[in-house]
Amino acid sequence: MKKLTSRLAICGLLAAATALTTTPAHAGDEVVNRGSCTDGTHWKMKAKPDDGRIEVEAEIDSNVTGQTWRWVLRHDGDVSARGTSQTRGASGSFSVARRTVDSPGTDHFRFRATHAGEVCVARVSL
Amino acid sequence: MTLFLVVGLLAFVAIVLGARVLTARAANDEALSDAQRFTEVLARSVAQPDIPRGLVRGEPGAVDRFDRLATDRLLVGDVRRVKIWAADGTIVYSDEVRLIGERFDLGAEEREILDAGGTDAEVTDLDKPENRYEQPGGGLVEVYTRIRSPEGEPLLFEAYYTVEGIEARQAAVIRPFQRITLGALVVLVCVATLLLWLLTRREARAAAERERLLLSAASASEAERRRIARDLHDGVVQDLAGTAFTLAAVAREADEPVRSTVGAASGSLRENLRALRSLLVEIHPPDLTAANLPAALEDLCAPAAAQAVDATVRVAELGEVGEDRAGLVWRVAQELVRNTLRHARARTMDIDLRRVDGVLVLEVEDDGVGFDPAAVSTTAHYGLRGLQALVRDSGGTLVIDARPGAGTRVRLEVPA
Repeated sequence: MKKLTSRLAICGLLAAATALTTTPAHAGDEVVNRGSCTDGTHWKMKAKPDDGRIEVEAEIDSNVTGQTWRWVLRHDGDVSARGTSQTRGASGSFSVARRTVDSPGTDHFRFRATHAGEVCVARVSL
Repeated sequence: MTLFLVVGLLAFVAIVLGARVLTARAANDEALSDAQRFTEVLARSVAQPDIPRGLVRGEPGAVDRFDRLATDRLLVGDVRRVKIWAADGTIVYSDEVRLIGERFDLGAEEREILDAGGTDAEVTDLDKPENRYEQPGGGLVEVYTRIRSPEGEPLLFEAYYTVEGIEARQAAVIRPFQRITLGALVVLVCVATLLLWLLTRREARAAAERERLLLSAASASEAERRRIARDLHDGVVQDLAGTAFTLAAVAREADEPVRSTVGAASGSLRENLRALRSLLVEIHPPDLTAANLPAALEDLCAPAAAQAVDATVRVAELGEVGEDRAGLVWRVAQELVRNTLRHARARTMDIDLRRVDGVLVLEVEDDGVGFDPAAVSTTAHYGLRGLQALVRDSGGTLVIDARPGAGTRVRLEVPA
C-alpha cells in the first residue's frame, strides 16, 4: 500500500512536471505542444488539418542514437496507430506522422512512448 | 449498277449503325460487369480482411486505421468514392470522412443485397443527401456488394465509378469489334462491288452481242422482206396488172356472155391485185416521206373494199415531214385501220391527216360498234397500249374517243 501510494505520488509529480513543461502553440490551424519525459528526453507533438483529415506528428528527442522506443498513438482514447522506432542522426531523435480522420468536435490525441523505463506522454487537441 | 451501289451503301450504313447500337449495348453491359467484378475483388479481398474491430461502432482509432488502408488500396483505378454502410443505414466508413457516422435510408435494392448477398449497380442519384459532396454534373455509377465486419455484421460495400470511366471502358470494349465489323463490311462491299462490276460488264457485253445479233437478224429479215416485196412487185404484180388490162380490153371487144364473164374476171383480178399491193406494203413498208404518205395510207385502206367498208383518206398539205415522223403516222394509221377492219364492223372509215401549227394531226374515225376504253383488258388492246407508248416516246399524244355503239375516233398529235 505504501509502495502504491509512493508510485501514485511519483506519477502525480511527473504529470505535474509534464504539464508544466507543456507549451501549446498555434501557427495558423496547427497546434504544437512540447514537453519532457520522465528521464530528460524531450517530446514535441503537433496536429494540423489536412484536406478533411488531421495530420498528427510526434517527435521524441533523447540525444542518444540507436534507442528503440515503443509507442502508441491514441485518438480520443482509441488506438489509432502503434509501433516501434529508433532514434537516429546526430540529434538522437525520431518522429512519427500519421493522418487521422477529423471526427466531429475536438479531436484529442495522445502519444505515449517508452524506452528502458522512461515514459513520454504527449498530448495535443485540435 | 448505280441503284445497287446506292442500295448497298444504305444497307451498309444501316448495318453499321445497327451493329454499333447493339455492340454499344453489349459493351455497356460488359463495362458494368467489369466494374462489378472489380468491386467484388476490392470488397472481399481488400476491404473485408482489413476491417478492424470497432469500425462498425465508430471507434476513432479503428476508423483511422481503416482510412489509411482505404486511401492507399481502395481508391484505385476508376474508383472515385468508397462507402461502407451498416444495415441500419449508418455510413461506418467513407473516404469522404464528413459522412462517417451519418445515417441515411437505404434503398430496396441495397437492403436486398444486404439480406441476400450478390452485387448490383446503378446510376448514382446525386440529389440524395449522402451524395451531397460529389461534384455536380459529374455522373457516377455505384456498384455495391455485401461484406461482413469482424464482428459478423453484414455491411454494404459501395464503390463509385465515373460515368466517363465506364464509357471509356465501354469504348475500349467496342473498338476492336467495330474495327472487325467495319473491316469485314468494307471487304464485303468491295468484293460485292467488284463482282457486280464484273457481272455488269459481262451482262453489258452479252446485251451488246444480243443487240448485234438482233440487228443482224432484223437486217437480214428486212433484206429478205424487201427482196420478196420487190420480186412480187416486179414480177407477179406487173404480170397480174398486165393480165387485168388485157382481160379488160378483151371484155370490151367480146360479145355477151363472154364480155360479162371476162369483165368479172378482170374485176376480180384487180381486187386481188389491190389486196396484193396492200400485203406488199405490210411486208415491207415503203420509205415514207410527206410526198408518198398519202399513197401509202391509200394502200393501207385497200382491204376495206373487200369488207364493204367505205374508206376515205384525206391528206392536206404537210410541208416538210421527217422520215421518222412519217413512219410513225403510217404505223399508227396501220394499227388503227387494222383494228377497224377486224373489230369495228363499221360501214365507213375516215382517215384525215393534216398539219396544224407545226403539229401533225392524224384522225381515224369509224362508225362501228365502238368499245369502252376503260373496260377492255390489257391483253385485248395491247396494240393500242403499245401504240400509245410509241407515240409518247416520240413526244406526241394519242387520244382514244370511243363508246360502245357509238363508233371510234382516235386522234394522234405529234410534232412534225
